[in-house]
Amino acid sequence: MMNLRLLPYLSVFLLTSMVASGIDQNRETLPPTNPSHPVPTEARRLALESAGAFTNEGFRIRDAEWAFTLNKGTKAFLQVTLFAGNHYWFVTASPNPGAKLRVTLYDRIGNPLKTQQWQEMGEHGGSRAAAGIAPERSGRYFVGVEILDAPNDLPLDCSLVIAYK
Amino acid sequence: MLTGRHFAMLVFVALCCHEVCAESSVPIPMTESQKLGAVFLDNLSIPSPGEVFAAMNSKSHPNWVTLISSATAPVTSDRMQLALVVGVLAANGYIEVEARDGQQVKNTGREMISVAKALSVSEHLMGRGNSLMEFAENEAWDSLADELEATENEVKNTMVERNDRDLVTLTSAAAWLRGLDAATAIVLETPNLDGISVITQPELARNLAAQLNTLPARMKKSVLVSKLKLTLEEVALLLETMGSTPETQRPNIQRIHVASAALVKEILASTGAKTTPAGRATPNPVRTGASNIASPKP
Repeated sequence: MMNLRLLPYLSVFLLTSMVASGIDQNRETLPPTNPSHPVPTEARRLALESAGAFTNEGFRIRDAEWAFTLNKGTKAFLQVTLFAGNHYWFVTASPNPGAKLRVTLYDRIGNPLKTQQWQEMGEHGGSRAAAGIAPERSGRYFVGVEILDAPNDLPLDCSLVIAYK
Repeated sequence: MLTGRHFAMLVFVALCCHEVCAESSVPIPMTESQKLGAVFLDNLSIPSPGEVFAAMNSKSHPNWVTLISSATAPVTSDRMQLALVVGVLAANGYIEVEARDGQQVKNTGREMISVAKALSVSEHLMGRGNSLMEFAENEAWDSLADELEATENEVKNTMVERNDRDLVTLTSAAAWLRGLDAATAIVLETPNLDGISVITQPELARNLAAQLNTLPARMKKSVLVSKLKLTLEEVALLLETMGSTPETQRPNIQRIHVASAALVKEILASTGAKTTPAGRATPNPVRTGASNIASPKP
C-alpha cells in the first residue's frame, strides 16, 4: 500500500504537470501560410485512405489536398466555403505514428463548432483524425488542425483532404 | 502527518484542477491573427461546381437538362481568355453530369482538352480525356464528376509548373461564375427562391475579386479580367444588400444571373478583339471541336 506521506508530493507533482500541459495547449502561434509546401505523399496517401471509407456512404473526395507541417503546440488553419445542405468530413493524416491529432471547425467569426470527431493514433499506420459537419448556414468557415499529444517534439508532415455529399 | 481529511482535500483540489486543464483542451475561439493568417488554397478554399450543385440538389429539384449550354471553345490565342474558358467548361461538365447527358460530357471533355492544348498544358491530359469518354459511355456519373475536377486541377497544376500560376486564379473564378449563372437560374425558377442560401456567398465573391486584384498589371488590363473583377464585386454587393424576403431578394438574384450569364457568354465568344494583346500568344489557337482524344475501347 502506498505510503500516505508521499501523497502531498505526488499531488503537487500531478498539479504542476497538469498546469504545465494546460499552458502548452493554450500557446498560440501564427499558422503556416505557405501553401506551396512540398507534397508529403505518404501523408496524403493516409488521408485519402481514411477518407476513402466515407465514399462508401456516398461522399465524394475533393481532388486536392492541403499539405502542411505542424509543430506541437501550434495550430494550422485553412479557409473553406461550406454549403448548408451538404455534409462534410475533413480528414487529416501524418505518417508519424503515436501522435494525437485533432481537426476543429470554426465559423466565420472563429468560434469552434460542434462536430463529429474521429481519431486514430497508429493502429493502421500513421496518425489520423477527422471532423464531420453538416453546416446549417452556407458561408466561410475555418478548419483547424493541431497536435494534442505526440511522442516527441519533431514537426509532423500532414495532409488534409475534404469529402462531401 | 496526512490525515484522511487532508487526503480528501488534496484529491478534491486535484480533481478541480484536472477539470480546468481538461477544459483547456476544448478548442478555443480563433484569434484575429489566426483568421487573417488562415491558408487560402485555390483548389480547396474555393468550392468546386460539383459541391455547389450537390447543395442545390438538396434544396430544390433543378431541371439540369434546361441548363446545358452546348458551349464550344472560342477561337482565340489569348491565354487569359483560354484560362477562363477552362473554368466555364469544367462547370458545364458538372451541369451535364447532373443532367445525366453522357454525350454532352464527352463533347465538353473534348473542348477542355483542345483548350488545354492551346494553352500548351495538355501533355498529362490525354489519359484524363480517355477516362472521361469511358465513364460517359458507362454512365458512371460519380466517377465522371471526379474526373472533371481532376482534369480541371491537372490543367491548373500544369499552369503552375509553367509559371502561369496567375491563370489558375482566372480558371477558378470563371468556374465559380458559371456555377453562379446556373445556380441563380435554378433559384429564380422557384417562387420562394429555393436554394438561395447556397448562393449567398458574398465573402467568396469578394475573395475572388481580391485575388484578381493581385494579378500582374498586364493581366488586369484585359477587358475580360477587369469585367470579371467588376462582376464579382457587383455580385458581392448584391448578395449583401438583398434583404431577407423573396420580394426584395428576387431583383438582386435576377441582376446577378443576368450579369454572370452575360460574362460567361463573352468569355466563350470568339472575339479576340475584346481582349488586349497583353496575354502571351500561343502557337496553336484553339479550334472549336478540335480534339485528339482517342475513342474509348469497345
